[in-house]
Amino acid sequence: MENVIKFENIEKLYDMGKVSVKALRGVSSEIKRGEFVAIIGPSGSGKSTLMHILGCLDTASSGSFWLEDKEISKVKKGKLSQIRNMQIGFVFQTFNLLPHLNVRRNVELPLMYSGISAGKRYKMAEKVLTDVGLADRMNHKPSELSGGQRQRVAIARAIVNNPAIILADEPTGNLDTTSGNDILSIFSELNNAGHTIIIVTHDPAVAERADRTIKIVDGLIV
Amino acid sequence: MAISISESIVVGLTDFWSRKIRSIVTIIGIVLGTMSVIVVLAMVNGINEQTISWMMERGGLSKVTVNRNWQYEGDKNLPDYFTLREIFRIKELLPEAKYFNPQMNDWGRMTNLENSFRTRVQGIVPDYQYIEEWTVDEGRFISQFDIDQNNDVIVIGTKAVEELFPNGKAIGEYVTFNNRRLLVIGIMKHRYLKNNFDVSSENSLDYLNWRCFVPISTMINKISGEDKINNLTLKARSADDAPALVEKLDEILLNMRQGEAIFEIQSAKEEAQEVEKNTATFRVVFFLISIISLLVSGIVIINIMLATIQERTREIGIRIAVGARRFDVFVQFLVQTVIVTFIGGLVGTIAGISILSLVSKYMEFQLIAYPEMVIVALSVAVGVGFFAGIIPAIKAANLDPVQALHYE
Repeated sequence: MENVIKFENIEKLYDMGKVSVKALRGVSSEIKRGEFVAIIGPSGSGKSTLMHILGCLDTASSGSFWLEDKEISKVKKGKLSQIRNMQIGFVFQTFNLLPHLNVRRNVELPLMYSGISAGKRYKMAEKVLTDVGLADRMNHKPSELSGGQRQRVAIARAIVNNPAIILADEPTGNLDTTSGNDILSIFSELNNAGHTIIIVTHDPAVAERADRTIKIVDGLIV
Repeated sequence: MAISISESIVVGLTDFWSRKIRSIVTIIGIVLGTMSVIVVLAMVNGINEQTISWMMERGGLSKVTVNRNWQYEGDKNLPDYFTLREIFRIKELLPEAKYFNPQMNDWGRMTNLENSFRTRVQGIVPDYQYIEEWTVDEGRFISQFDIDQNNDVIVIGTKAVEELFPNGKAIGEYVTFNNRRLLVIGIMKHRYLKNNFDVSSENSLDYLNWRCFVPISTMINKISGEDKINNLTLKARSADDAPALVEKLDEILLNMRQGEAIFEIQSAKEEAQEVEKNTATFRVVFFLISIISLLVSGIVIINIMLATIQERTREIGIRIAVGARRFDVFVQFLVQTVIVTFIGGLVGTIAGISILSLVSKYMEFQLIAYPEMVIVALSVAVGVGFFAGIIPAIKAANLDPVQALHYE
């Protein structure tokens, strides 16, 4: 199977004035299309830093990173927004929905930034919300939903643009066990449907769902 | 791929409505600022219009008046009046004057049977009616024939009619002025100009309605018995020709009086220019004050927007994570600020115009609003929003997405 992600010798330095902290100390790996991968490690290990780099929210200090055959480490910073928009779907621990927009408009957000017309956006959002079982909650505000429902909205938003990878950062961290399991089942379903999924977690139970785990300790893959 | 301006406006309006109280607080300054711009501009226009229309009523901008110079302090004992001979000489030297009217005034009591009042009678020539753009309503005006024959005729104003002829019939009747019996041959048109600044008299031209006119020859030879003409009015071919006429006239008059400034020449055009200049100063000063108040509200808006962006840091992070470019974020907040100030400007304009109509109704004060003023007020409001929005929008666009997403 072809690689959807490949990274080599990624380092990330944080400049803290006089001292600089190395969050990643040369990590390399590959993720194949359609894989379900968990990145695990204790807090402060550098796993979130790696996720930010893979999600094109941050750039590596050195090393190379390919996403869909494109060398992201050579892409200009200004172009990263387009890659985030088209290739990456984010799911966060704290859901990160816009509270003043209703569910449908939250899901439409990435489509708006891709310049898709309002009518088409509406249909696409409606479809993915049906897929995650929230067709009847389209016009609700996030505050009117349960935690599990909010995370499903976030998943709908992540997949609406049909991205190359779905990056989830502790997606069950703020949920009770039942809702957490529901969310993980959705990820499994999406994976079965062909989506590449990368979950960052410190919870071994979550990692168990994945095909493969990448373990990071002190900025290195072990 | 980018978010369009119309999309930004929709996002901006949604934001505006979802934070109603904050939005209202933000626009109050702009509302008041725009309102004051509208009211002040209307006031200045009102003053200007009033003065100009008064001048138009009094003969237009091509009118030139010669009077005795009351400021003259020379000790040469020179006559401060013209003789009829001198008047003919001046007229000969000034062929470019379209109309030419020497005038001689006399005060006295005018009576008809038991009715009488004190008034000023003016000896004039037929050109008077063209210079003042004012003639009879009934009967006829003084003619050249009346002048040549020293006819004992008089044309009277509507107030004089009221005083002397309570039954309204005046033409063909006689009045007595300083012991001379004069036949009433005409009644002048009633003059009216709404007075917007003085509540004591609502007609600012009422003094004209008291005036009575006789042929200047009759005045000199039969009424006052003196050949002392104290006033001369002329009309240039156009307002643009007036300055040249004034210059030439000045030279003639100086020559007649050994270079002494015995007489003073006033040109309506120059006065109008003076008025324009004064109101322009007014306008600039008032406008500056309004602009300062708008600037203050602009600073308030910067503050509120900076706080808003602080509060919405996480939202900005989310938008960047799902693909918003920095430029999109910049546009979003800039458009939002401009929307806020535009709405403020709109409310302020409507409030300003409502105040104008209220004030004009109760104060009898003419305030003139032009469509241009609305455009000016709205442009200023949008401009304030634009400049106030730039700094917060840049700040929003430059947020680091990773930090913004984890902002609590």
